[in-house]
Amino acid sequence: MTEAPVPQTRFPGFTPEARAQLDILRARYPTTEAVLLPALHIAQRLSGGWLPDEAIQAVAEELGLPESKVYGVVTFYDLFHQRPVGRHRIRVCTNLSCQLRGSAEIMETLHHELGVGEEEVTPDGRCSYVHFECLGSCDTAPMMMVDDDYYENLTPNQVRGILKGLK
Amino acid sequence: MAFERVLTRNVGNRDALTLDGYRKTGGYEALAKALKMEPDAVIEEVKKSGLRGRGGAGFPAGMKWGFIPQKDPNQPRYLVCNADESEPGTFKDRLLMEHDPHQLIEGCAICCWAVRAATCYIYIRGEYTKAAAILERALKDAYEGGILGDGVLGSNFKLDMYVHRGAGAYICGEETGMLESLEGKRGQPRVKPPFPAVVGAFGAPTVINNVETLCNVPHILVRGADWFKSIGTDERNTGPKLYAISGHVERPGTYEHPIGITFREMLEAAGGMWRQGTLKAFIPGGASAPILKASEIDIKMDFDTVAKAGSMLGSAAVIVMDETVCMVRSVARLAKFFNHESCGQCTPCREGTNWMELVLKRLEHGEGREGDAMLLKSVAGNVGGNSLCALGDAAVGPVKSLVERFPEEIDAHVRERRCPFPEYRYF
Amino acid sequence: MPKVTINDRTVEVEAGTNVIEAGVKVGVQIPHYCYHPRLTVVGQCRMCLVEVWQNGKKLPKLQTACSTTAAENMEVRTDTPEVRQAQAGMMEFFLINHPLDCPICDQAGECGLQDYSFKHGVAFSRFQFEDKRTYPGRERIPLGPNVILNMNRCIQCTRCVRFTHEVSKTGELGFFNRGARTEIGTFPGKELDNPLSTCVVDVCPVGALTSTRFRFAERVFYLDKKPSICTGCDVGCNITIEHRRGDIKRYKPRFNPEVNDYWMCDYGRSTFERYKTVPRLRACRMRGQEGEKTGTETMGSWKEALDLVHRRLRLRTDGAVAFLGSGFLTNEEAWLAARLADYAGSPHRGVPVDLGAGWTIPNLQGGITGTELAPNRRGAELFLRPGSGIELEETLGGAGNGKEKPQVLDPDELLLGDGASKCAVLVVLDSDFGRGAYTPEVVERLRRAQFLVVLGWADSPLAKVADVALPVATHAEKDGTFVNAEWRVQRFNAAFPAPGQARSTVEALADLLGRFDAKWAGLTADKVFDRIASEVPAFTGHTWHTLPATGSALHVPGAHTAMSDAAAETLPEVS
Repeated sequence: MTEAPVPQTRFPGFTPEARAQLDILRARYPTTEAVLLPALHIAQRLSGGWLPDEAIQAVAEELGLPESKVYGVVTFYDLFHQRPVGRHRIRVCTNLSCQLRGSAEIMETLHHELGVGEEEVTPDGRCSYVHFECLGSCDTAPMMMVDDDYYENLTPNQVRGILKGLK
Repeated sequence: MAFERVLTRNVGNRDALTLDGYRKTGGYEALAKALKMEPDAVIEEVKKSGLRGRGGAGFPAGMKWGFIPQKDPNQPRYLVCNADESEPGTFKDRLLMEHDPHQLIEGCAICCWAVRAATCYIYIRGEYTKAAAILERALKDAYEGGILGDGVLGSNFKLDMYVHRGAGAYICGEETGMLESLEGKRGQPRVKPPFPAVVGAFGAPTVINNVETLCNVPHILVRGADWFKSIGTDERNTGPKLYAISGHVERPGTYEHPIGITFREMLEAAGGMWRQGTLKAFIPGGASAPILKASEIDIKMDFDTVAKAGSMLGSAAVIVMDETVCMVRSVARLAKFFNHESCGQCTPCREGTNWMELVLKRLEHGEGREGDAMLLKSVAGNVGGNSLCALGDAAVGPVKSLVERFPEEIDAHVRERRCPFPEYRYF
Repeated sequence: MPKVTINDRTVEVEAGTNVIEAGVKVGVQIPHYCYHPRLTVVGQCRMCLVEVWQNGKKLPKLQTACSTTAAENMEVRTDTPEVRQAQAGMMEFFLINHPLDCPICDQAGECGLQDYSFKHGVAFSRFQFEDKRTYPGRERIPLGPNVILNMNRCIQCTRCVRFTHEVSKTGELGFFNRGARTEIGTFPGKELDNPLSTCVVDVCPVGALTSTRFRFAERVFYLDKKPSICTGCDVGCNITIEHRRGDIKRYKPRFNPEVNDYWMCDYGRSTFERYKTVPRLRACRMRGQEGEKTGTETMGSWKEALDLVHRRLRLRTDGAVAFLGSGFLTNEEAWLAARLADYAGSPHRGVPVDLGAGWTIPNLQGGITGTELAPNRRGAELFLRPGSGIELEETLGGAGNGKEKPQVLDPDELLLGDGASKCAVLVVLDSDFGRGAYTPEVVERLRRAQFLVVLGWADSPLAKVADVALPVATHAEKDGTFVNAEWRVQRFNAAFPAPGQARSTVEALADLLGRFDAKWAGLTADKVFDRIASEVPAFTGHTWHTLPATGSALHVPGAHTAMSDAAAETLPEVS
């Protein structure tokens, strides 16, 4: 695993906007615990796309939950990362429909273009990629998700183009 | 056949994303009508229509609504809309949410009126950021337009509806897994009984319905249960159905057909086989459904017919495979999926899905042994029926169908000590 | 009260009873791992799958007995081919990724996998060509000071996680990751460190969680087990003393729903170690001739030693005769000591308390909190109350001339004041009574008594300066009763005989009392208890042999402590 010089964004604390968001969220649920998943999404965004231990502790404290419970939730879900990720996070679907339409080539292209393996971060901290399970876009296979956006009907050339556009 | 689209009628009409645009297509008339009816009458109408859940289990929706206890009017009740859509091959709910969010909101509102729920959570998978944003926008418009909030359409029915984003776990599509995740915990399914209708979200009676199921509700209210029943195969398989077809077809996508269309017709409507390949096998209802052979091409794609053939319609996610496809490789990939998505609580699923993936991987890599087919069958037999939730049962579906319907492929892998199909590709 | 039939045996049970508990009532053992009577039902190990018929209709799938509530017209079968197949299947699943650690695993001999594998599993493995899942780097992780985790052995039953959240309510443990990689652990950097932490080792069915204290100490099938009571504090947790021929290897909690439920604290588990680390008094030791202060020590026989003590008690020159008790004395010992004090005509008696407060042990009534680190201060004090016995003293014409009430030398006076120097004879009934016995200043003060008699199992600094040191048994070597913080009397019996010349304190005191009046000779603890029950109102109605296994509540109004908290503060920490 490459120890990348990714700007290790420590958790900067909840910003006023984040706190405002949390307040709105608290009113939506009968228990504070139910705010946990949305709160973790917010905290992850503040930490640059992953959740360092401090962020997890901060969320636990904010919601009055045991740290072990919050940690259990973070490690359960695929969208919460505990290790640093690139500035751009790429998820390639390799489930059956995409496998039938060439997801393997997409993975190979990424490996070749970025020069790192799965779950590793490029030396300049720009990208990291993983294979992923069905993303619900089987009709436009093969496809991948970059940050929050879907890129569909991919060819290796298109992938190269998309990568060029990522800063 | 000239089938008039119902659920997908607004796909392509960008105007329908706005409240006014949706209203122009007749939107929220159903809700207005429902509010003038007794809640129980709404439930009856849905029961009469024969609407069965479109999420995978096919449970009659009206009956589910009827399970909600109504003795105590002050007791909280919830509707949780299952927009987790993670079954491989399924992408129909995404289409509905991205192109016609108000249809879903209306369906949810009518359901809440019927079961007297004051809060609805739309649990949407975390990866669907675009759909979640579109829904949030539509909800905001709905609140501003008096559809939601303190007085729905001017009545004294108070309804709140929120989007709740998941964080990437297929098991959160299981109803009690979803409730656990909604409550801020690991999405680990609960022991049933008690069922969600009695103890659901936050301990209160809860209805959980799929997006497509709820999208049918406004149409049932406006056009009537009899109209709904007139579409489909028989009175147990009624209504329009979205079929998400992918894999080796020319035009993959979501197609709306009356439920019970044959697979042959569906394949034709999707442009036939990709690059004129030869059909080898197809999955009728998502990764959990046992695989059917090409010879079963004329099967009617409704709940009962597919079940009788030894498979399941499930989420109607159709995956088509041509003659270049290695069945062992395909099932191995599905086994990997189930192993990855198993929540890990119960022993048979946690250990069994892991074991099945290892055996199938071994087979695909040419290290298979005599007796592996029997072993897979036996392990699948110990997992199915014994797990805490349906993921265990789902995981054995493809494995069992591989052993039963394609034994010669397993034999070929063992005999030749390699995968006989073109070029092993990266998993 | 629904009637349910299990394997053709019908039983009526309380509403809400699950099928596992109902099975226990009719002698049907349904195998299970994740179920525990005090933890929420999760139904996840799937070992307790059974066939269930409700109103004559068979439920389509096997049901988990732990989550199935026994209902009227319910029939359960655990002996059918389908159930046996499920049990064998589950056992196979547990074992495919389980390491073959039995030869090096503490749990061997009391392991849930071993036991059910033998009963319900198959004798061969079909997991031959794949690699077992492992958790590299997690094979011997100290989760905290008392518990070590070997994650490879874990069967993911989550009993430990549920324990820390629901019973100890400290929430250190969690269930992390998903699927085949699930593991238990603490938040990175945090420890499993609560007073009940070792209980997770008890609830773990396999050797994933082991006790640091007991690790590799002994094979459990070589252990002799005796029910007893913990002497760590006044909660009086029921324990099992597990020893190999007198060498205690561990304490384990014993189920008592009225006291400690299924639990005990880490401190209590450590209390047997004193018996092995503190030097042991094994022989009667006397100083000088005829008890002169100076002079060499000689070892003697019990007869010689007790004769000497008896003489000095009768002699009683200038000075008082005082008796210093202990929170570790049994009721029988304290009562006999009081009778001895009566014969000596002495009102100077008491029970010192200078050890800190204990912890809360949860039970279904909320829990019991230990107020001091000794098991029987309440019981001992009932009988050794300062100032009692004055009437007897006047009758015997002891010091005090009957004109004025003499100052009672209570424990505070003796330990912290000048009391001992006023004593002609000071009898310390327990050489390990507390911190005072190891504090040089206190030992010096007590030494100023003209004649110091010390009974004890420990050869403590106090025993070393005694004029007569009498070796007695530890609580593991004698019979007795204790009264706990809730005024419950509980009985325990000797696990193994005392070493050397040591006898039980009851025997020693009865022997001594026998020299005053033959009626006392040969009394044993059971007879003493029955005497107490006939004379002391709080104990009425009880007999030694009919004392219930869960103990019995006494009614005693107005409890009080012998040594004030402030006074206890002045003593250093006990070693």
